[in-house]
Amino acid sequence: MATEEDASPPETCDGPGAGPEYEMSDRARRIVEEQGRSLREEGMLPSKVFNDDGIFEAELRQIFGRHWVFVGHESEIPEPGDYAQRRIGRDPFIFVRGEDGEVRVLFDSCSHHGSKLCRAEQGNTSHFRCPYHGWTFKNTGDLAGVPLKHQAFKGLDPEEWGLHEAPRVTNYKGMVFACLREDAPDFEEYLGDFAWYLDIQLEIGKGGMEVVGEPKRWIADSDWKSGADNFAADSYHTGVTHRSALDVGFGAEEISGTAGQETHRHVTHVDAGSTSLRLLHPDDEIYYGYPNEFVDTSSLSEDQRRMAAACGAETGTIFPNLSFIHVAATDDPDDDLAGYLAFRQWQPLEAGKMQAWSWILAPADASDEYKQRAHDVGMATFAGPSGNFEQDDMAVWDGVSEAAGSVYAERHEFKLNYQMGRPGMSEAEIDEDWYGPGLGWDDNLEEGTLRTFHGNWNKAMSGEEVGMSYPEDHI
Amino acid sequence: MSKQEPEDATAGRSDVELQHEVEQFYYREAELLDDRDLEAWLDLLTEDVEYAMPTRLIREKAAERSPFSETSFNYHEDRSTLESRVDRFGSEFAWSDDPPARTRHYVTNVRVGDPDGEELPVKSNLLLFWAQRENDDTLVSCERHDRLRRVDGDLKVARREVRLDHNVVPMKNISVFL
Repeated sequence: MATEEDASPPETCDGPGAGPEYEMSDRARRIVEEQGRSLREEGMLPSKVFNDDGIFEAELRQIFGRHWVFVGHESEIPEPGDYAQRRIGRDPFIFVRGEDGEVRVLFDSCSHHGSKLCRAEQGNTSHFRCPYHGWTFKNTGDLAGVPLKHQAFKGLDPEEWGLHEAPRVTNYKGMVFACLREDAPDFEEYLGDFAWYLDIQLEIGKGGMEVVGEPKRWIADSDWKSGADNFAADSYHTGVTHRSALDVGFGAEEISGTAGQETHRHVTHVDAGSTSLRLLHPDDEIYYGYPNEFVDTSSLSEDQRRMAAACGAETGTIFPNLSFIHVAATDDPDDDLAGYLAFRQWQPLEAGKMQAWSWILAPADASDEYKQRAHDVGMATFAGPSGNFEQDDMAVWDGVSEAAGSVYAERHEFKLNYQMGRPGMSEAEIDEDWYGPGLGWDDNLEEGTLRTFHGNWNKAMSGEEVGMSYPEDHI
Repeated sequence: MSKQEPEDATAGRSDVELQHEVEQFYYREAELLDDRDLEAWLDLLTEDVEYAMPTRLIREKAAERSPFSETSFNYHEDRSTLESRVDRFGSEFAWSDDPPARTRHYVTNVRVGDPDGEELPVKSNLLLFWAQRENDDTLVSCERHDRLRRVDGDLKVARREVRLDHNVVPMKNISVFL
C-alpha cells in the first residue's frame, strides 16, 4: 500500500488540455496582493501594474490564457473559407468560417513542425497549406494531405493531427469569443448581468449590427489596461483630454460625457463589466444618434428600450480587453451628428506596450451611404488612430506606463488615486431607482467603473472567477 | 464657391520643366507640413479636394485583390473635415500636437504621368520621420497617388491617396498629414 510520501504529486491540471497550472513568481504575487489591498482599503492602485515584466508574463497566462477574449465579429467572415488572423493575448489564431459554414478559432501552428499556416491578414481559402513540409489542412482544421504519406507517415491517423482549436468558442449575437481554458464558465455566465447592456449595443441596429470595413490597428507605448480602464469608464478625463475636439465641435458636449452633467450615469459592478451612460431626455429618442429608420428595439425589454432611447453615448469594457463606444458624433462640425458603434481591443504586446484594434459597426440594414458615413465619423472621432478624440488619449497614456516602469515607482510603492466616488470624496450617490443591472450612480464623477475593472483584474490574477457584484465586491 | 475654369495641367511646359515644377511643389508642401504651417498647406489643396488614407491589409498573392481597403480608412477627408482637423491642432488642448511633433517629410521618386483631362496624375514616395516625445520616434513609409490640377496657374492637390506600407500603423496616433 502506498504511503503518503510516495503518492503521486498533486494534480496540477485544471482541465483536459489545460496543461500545468501556472506558478506566478513571488514578486508578482506580492504586487497582485498589494493591488487588491490598496484598491479595497484605500481606493489606490500601485502604479507598477501598468508596466512590469513579471506582471505582464502572469497576465498572459492568468488573464488571456484563462478568460473569454474577443476574436472577431461573424460579419467579418461571411462566406465559407473567409478567414482573418487574430490574437488571443499574444497567441496566433485563425478566425475562419469552414466550408461547412461553422465559425472556428484554430491555433495557427502546423501540427507537424509548428510553422504558421496563415500568412495573410485575411482572405478566403479552402485549405491552409504549411509552407514548411506541405501538410495541408481544410478550412475546418481537418488534416487533408501529408506529402509522401505512404512512404513517410504510413501509420499516421489524419484524424488525430488536425489543427488545434481554441478549447472554448462562442458566438454571442455575432460576436465571437474564445477561451483557452477548458473548464471556464460558459460565456453567458462569465458576462453575467453585463449582457443587459451589451445586448442593447448589438440589437439596437435594424438587422443587427455589422462591421464596416476592416479593423484598424496601431501600436502605442501604453499598457493594455490603460485603454480598458479608460473605457470602463473614465468620464473625468473627457473634458480635459478631449477639450480640443469638443471645442471644434466633433461631438456635442452634453453627449460626449464631460463630467458632472446631471444626465450622466455610471454603472459599476456588472459582473464582467462596467459602463458609462450619457442619458438625455427619454422623449428625445436619440438611440445613439441613429436615424429612426435604422433603429429596431423589438428585441429589447421595456427598460432596455427606455435606456437606449435616451442614450447619446455609452462606453464600457468587458473584462479583460474588449471595450466599446457607442456614440453620436461627426467628422465635420458643419454636418449632423451620426451614430456608430466601435469595438476596441487592447492587445498586450509587452509590459507597457499594446496594439490597439478598432472595429466600426453600423446597423446591418442601414444604407451603404449611412454605413460609410458611420465609418467616417468613427474614424474621425474615437475609432482609429487619426480620430480627433482618439489622438489625444494615446498622447497621454504612454506617460502612465513610462513612470510605472520606473525604479522610483517600485521602491517607493508609488500609488495612483482611484478614490473618486468613495465615501467622502464625490457627491455621486447610488441611485436606488436605477432600472438596469449593476450599481447605478446618479453622476459620472466617480471611479467605481474603473475599480470594477481593476477588481476583476485582481480576481483573475488571483485565480478566482471574474464577476463583480454589489455589495460583496464593493470597492 | 464658384466653379474654377478648367486649366491645362501642363501649362504648356516640357516634360523636364513639368517634372521640376511638380518636385518643387512637393518640396514646398513638405516644408509647410514640417513647419506645421497647416493653414498655408490647406492653400495647396483644391476646394473639392479628396484626401484618403485607406487601411492596408496583408493579402495572399493569389487573392488578386488590392491590399488597400475600399471601406476602412485612417483619413477619408474633404476640405471641410481637413479644415476642422487643422482647427483642432490650433487649440491649446490638442495634446497630440503639444509639444509639436518633429517631422521631416522626404519626398522622392516623383513620377509624373500623362495628363488626364485637366488633371495630372503623379505618384511619389514619402518617408516620414515623426517624433513627439523623447523615445517615440518612428519612420512611416508610403506611396502617394495624387491628381494635381492647376488653379490660377498654380498646381494644387485635387485628390490624394496615401498608400501606407504598414498594415499596423507604427504610431500611437496619426496627427500628421502625409
